[in-house]
Amino acid sequence: MCRKLLAGLLVLNLVIWAGIVGAQDTLKIGAPQPMTGPDAPFGDKFKKAYSQAVDEINGAGGVNGKKIEVVIEDHQAKNPLAATVTEKLITQNKVLVLTGGRASGQAVEIASVAQRLKTPYVVDHPSADIITAKGFEWVFRNNPTGSIYPQAFNMFISEVEQAMPKSAAVVYDNTVFGKSIANSAMVFLKSKNVPIVNDEAYAVNTLDFKPVMTKVKAQNPDFLLMVAVSTTDAILLTRHAKAMGVNPRAFVGFGGGFGVADFANELGPLSENVFSSAAWSGTPNEPATKAFYDKFHKKYGIYPKEHEVEGYAAIYIIADALRRAKLTGNLEQDREAVRQALLQTDMTTVFGKVKFGNWAGPLGDKYTNQNIYSPEHSVLAQWRGGKLLNVYPKTNAETECIFPDPTCKR
Amino acid sequence: MALKGDLPPIKCAMETFVQSVVSGVLTGSLYAMIGVGLTIVFGVMRIINMAHGDMVMLGMYGAFWAHVAWKMDPFLSIILWVPAGFVGGLIIYRFLLRKIVPAGELNTLLYTAGLSLFVANVALLVWTGDYRTIKLPYAIMPLRPLGIAVPIPLAIAFGMAILVTCGLYWFLVHTDTGRAIRATSQEPEAAALMGISVGRISMITFGLGTALACGAGVLLAPSLYLYPTVGEILVAKCFVIVVLGGLGSVPGAIAGGLLLGLAESLGAVYVSVPYKDAIGFVMFLLVLLFRPAGLFGEGKS
Repeated sequence: MCRKLLAGLLVLNLVIWAGIVGAQDTLKIGAPQPMTGPDAPFGDKFKKAYSQAVDEINGAGGVNGKKIEVVIEDHQAKNPLAATVTEKLITQNKVLVLTGGRASGQAVEIASVAQRLKTPYVVDHPSADIITAKGFEWVFRNNPTGSIYPQAFNMFISEVEQAMPKSAAVVYDNTVFGKSIANSAMVFLKSKNVPIVNDEAYAVNTLDFKPVMTKVKAQNPDFLLMVAVSTTDAILLTRHAKAMGVNPRAFVGFGGGFGVADFANELGPLSENVFSSAAWSGTPNEPATKAFYDKFHKKYGIYPKEHEVEGYAAIYIIADALRRAKLTGNLEQDREAVRQALLQTDMTTVFGKVKFGNWAGPLGDKYTNQNIYSPEHSVLAQWRGGKLLNVYPKTNAETECIFPDPTCKR
Repeated sequence: MALKGDLPPIKCAMETFVQSVVSGVLTGSLYAMIGVGLTIVFGVMRIINMAHGDMVMLGMYGAFWAHVAWKMDPFLSIILWVPAGFVGGLIIYRFLLRKIVPAGELNTLLYTAGLSLFVANVALLVWTGDYRTIKLPYAIMPLRPLGIAVPIPLAIAFGMAILVTCGLYWFLVHTDTGRAIRATSQEPEAAALMGISVGRISMITFGLGTALACGAGVLLAPSLYLYPTVGEILVAKCFVIVVLGGLGSVPGAIAGGLLLGLAESLGAVYVSVPYKDAIGFVMFLLVLLFRPAGLFGEGKS
């Protein structure tokens, strides 16, 4: 029995080795993503986005004649596991460059490992400011930082008549992401003398928001701002807020959870007119975006949103850098070459323009290798009939904004 | 300008308080039901069942699949899963636990902890880690008697939890098997001398405990999300409840459940949400310090 098991293991080992040796002529991109666990739907989105980009690039002849390949490792949305699988991707799978991460907590771990093991990491979606504010020269980010997320919302309340909140309740998750977004939003509101009647952090995957919302209802805020990295939290926050009778002029959500189709599927009519302040300003009205939407829809039967666009764009940014880098076959030198090439990136993806640079964010964080066009990428969207439509700024709007919330009795 | 939403401050404060109490009692009733299952098992067999939360999880998935696959109302599926849980408990006891019970509390603790990991990971393998919800058309908006929000699924679960817990109480007080369970719980050796088959009673009790856990899972499912490791959160709460009330005491577990529900709800409203769980554990530590046998427990020499 024991011997059979041993023999089996040996064979398995050989098969794995054969796989590794056979795949050596591809250029490997490592992507830690949550493929199981609470964030699995997000992992799936990125997987689809990566395959779409990889298929297109390889179909057009690959990168300088070599095919690219994305190796996904599952971190189950657990921060320590993200560090472990990143290390595995770098040392065992010998990837040239990393992307992915999904949530900020995990991306912080990935960035630290990437920096330590000298492997470039192109962040595609995680948005906590700290990821590009630690002076890590191996970490690059295409998408906006957390403190940029609320910019479109800030513009909306400042520019639209009567929209400035008279008071605001802020409820956010106690993750790196949640805190940085909430902080950014609150700093702005305070600068406009808007009283913050509730400033409260909750633990991710809180199963019961009724007590929080009971408290919020008593404070009767003019605006309810909710930050949720997890979809389940976004759904329960909204459901329990409405169930407890919180009745603001606007329900505003920040973070991935408020921007996914599940939000509307699970909440049904309760999702109507909830705002989502997101990080991608593209609209399907632009020809390049429309072409991407159609391709994606043809292949997977779904229309992409922020996450898919970010993942897809990241692969194109990496492919562009790989094309320009002089690869020698020595892994360490090649990683440095890719990093140098990324520093020279200046291109337009479906996500928008990208060029990495060092600059200071809205709250004064000093960014390293953060996309210098990030401030242009913030958008305010609204759930309408189960669809998330951009409503502000006007240049990106897909429809007219409904404000104040018609259910608000004031 | 008088705004409709502005209530006089006192009335508003009162409403918030009543709302917190109502939410607390509703959630507490379900905690109580889970706690009772854990406490009777401990009382009779001195097993601290670490896998209790996972039994709740299985009940939740049972309700989910009954709803999805057979279009059955999740609450109605309790008539399936409580007997299934009972039989499952008998089997677990007969084939997995019976031999290890004489080895002492520490061994059974480790053993059930292993069982818990096993069940949760099999569930993870079979059902993946995806979060699932049960969507009930009648459960979208809550009832609002007197302006107090009462979520419908919780209200139904509350009613059913009371029925089940009262039923169990009646069973323990008025039937022969119930009396035998209580006797074994109080003094196993004396019970054995009185002609009670302690082995059989243990098996029945474990079945009952598992059935209660599955039943609670079914009732919880429509109000919560279900995922394979949800048991971890629940089992931690369970221990607080059971120790608060006194290990082995059924009225204690009921009181402990309600107390924890109230503490969490009032704590979140009047103290702070991040401290919600801390409040429960502070109570737990205080009770351990000053009344080690629990609020309803009787010190044993």
